[in-house]
Amino acid sequence: MSLDFTWLADPLYQTWLLRGIGTTVAMCVCAIVLMFIFGIVGAAVIYFRVPLLETLTTIVVELLRNTPPLVQLFVLYFTLSELGLSVRSLATGQQIPVFSGFTCVVLSLALYNGGIAVEIVRSGLHAVPDATVDAARSLGYSRLRTFWHIQLPMAMRLSTVPMTNNIVSLIKTSSQAAFVAVADVMYYATQITLENFRNFEVMLVVWGCYLALASFASTVAGRVGRAMRIPGYGV
Amino acid sequence: MSATATIKLVLPMRKMQPESRAFVYGMIGVPLLLFAALIGCYGRASGDALAWLAARSGMLLTGTPSSGLAGGFCANIVMSLAAMCVSLCTGMLLCIGTIANTRMVRLIASGILNLLRNTPWLIALYAMLYLLPFYVAVFGTVIPFSPFVKAVVGLSLPVTANVAEAMRGGIEAIPSGQWESARALGYRKNQILRYIVLPQAIPLLMPNMMTVYAGLFIGTSLAVVTGTSDVLSVANTITASDGSRYATAAQLYVLLLFFLFSFPIATLSRRLERQMREKS
Repeated sequence: MSLDFTWLADPLYQTWLLRGIGTTVAMCVCAIVLMFIFGIVGAAVIYFRVPLLETLTTIVVELLRNTPPLVQLFVLYFTLSELGLSVRSLATGQQIPVFSGFTCVVLSLALYNGGIAVEIVRSGLHAVPDATVDAARSLGYSRLRTFWHIQLPMAMRLSTVPMTNNIVSLIKTSSQAAFVAVADVMYYATQITLENFRNFEVMLVVWGCYLALASFASTVAGRVGRAMRIPGYGV
Repeated sequence: MSATATIKLVLPMRKMQPESRAFVYGMIGVPLLLFAALIGCYGRASGDALAWLAARSGMLLTGTPSSGLAGGFCANIVMSLAAMCVSLCTGMLLCIGTIANTRMVRLIASGILNLLRNTPWLIALYAMLYLLPFYVAVFGTVIPFSPFVKAVVGLSLPVTANVAEAMRGGIEAIPSGQWESARALGYRKNQILRYIVLPQAIPLLMPNMMTVYAGLFIGTSLAVVTGTSDVLSVANTITASDGSRYATAAQLYVLLLFFLFSFPIATLSRRLERQMREKS
């Protein structure tokens, strides 16, 4: 079996791959930001034991963590269009869904990995010593301020390693965006294979792309974790 | 110690374990949540949607309208079990490679481990789909590679790395004194692994293994790309033939199926982990 990479020289395929990588990166960055917001808000709701919301968050987190992200994506994609969230375009008179495939993928990635992030942040909050919290309270910080200024920063520092794994998992999961016709790198890869039938070589190239993205993300996360570290706290 | 034991005996049900509470919440709450989503989607027509689901659920579970367990959700379960068996063997080999004496073997094994760990599952599945031939002829007998076999191989690639990591974690948790005393007694390295370390490590790595299995089971949903008759492709076929009106209902039902299978495993693994933490 011989590998043939001559198709990589074609400028059309190069543009496709680069455009796909751009979409993937944009999707991942949006999803990671949303994931942090979901994770922190969810962990805060569970930590403060907000009545009713706490139960709901626990249930939603269990649902998100124990079901396939692919099916979650399909549910989001079908449900949102089923609910009739669409606007009529004034120019053409067609119904355009408010949530495009891109938004659906970002939402589903942020929800799935946000469910995991809730657990990570929550265990980080538990690892913050009680004495520190008591000291902050006795200095006159309110509970909310204690949470925002003392507990959360320490919890995030304590949970850099599982959070890095979560981010890498998000990048890997983003490859399923091609299922709802978002033009990410996987989508363009299948397009290329349809044209030149070099299935295995194209998959190798895409694999390299994902490896590079994941390694880059874990390196950056490791650097950030080391730069933010407070001596005496954390591992 | 004895005081707490008696209190536990006197008040057995006063304070539930945290996992049991989460389990009860999840088992009651999630179906209710999905049901609410169904009603929110279909409104008046939710009765029809439920009737349609009831009529089609046998098809989604087994893949065929008649008896037989060759497809649908059963295929997902069989696929995950087969992939787990394969990746247990390969993962053990990889794990032994990462703790080998020879430096070269160690480097190669950890390189493979890192490569496999960073592979998206979808890409592993696609690559296997095109890399594996449709059949192999061994001494004249033709062994066909069905999409099912390809899916199993593709799934077990990334899981191998997870299994090897879980095993290495369990083996490293055994104190080094065990290794040293066994060596002082004249055991060889593979004998120490087999008779001393592995029997102690297996209970330690059970919770992690169960987490890996739950993740693998969730990952079998991606096997839809290989063309097996798993639950998602059956759902797609059904909605294509009956009209896409009930697509959401079918997807919600599939979500519930996956949840009902993998949530008990996740709860059990968390419980085992906590018991182990309390014991140590």
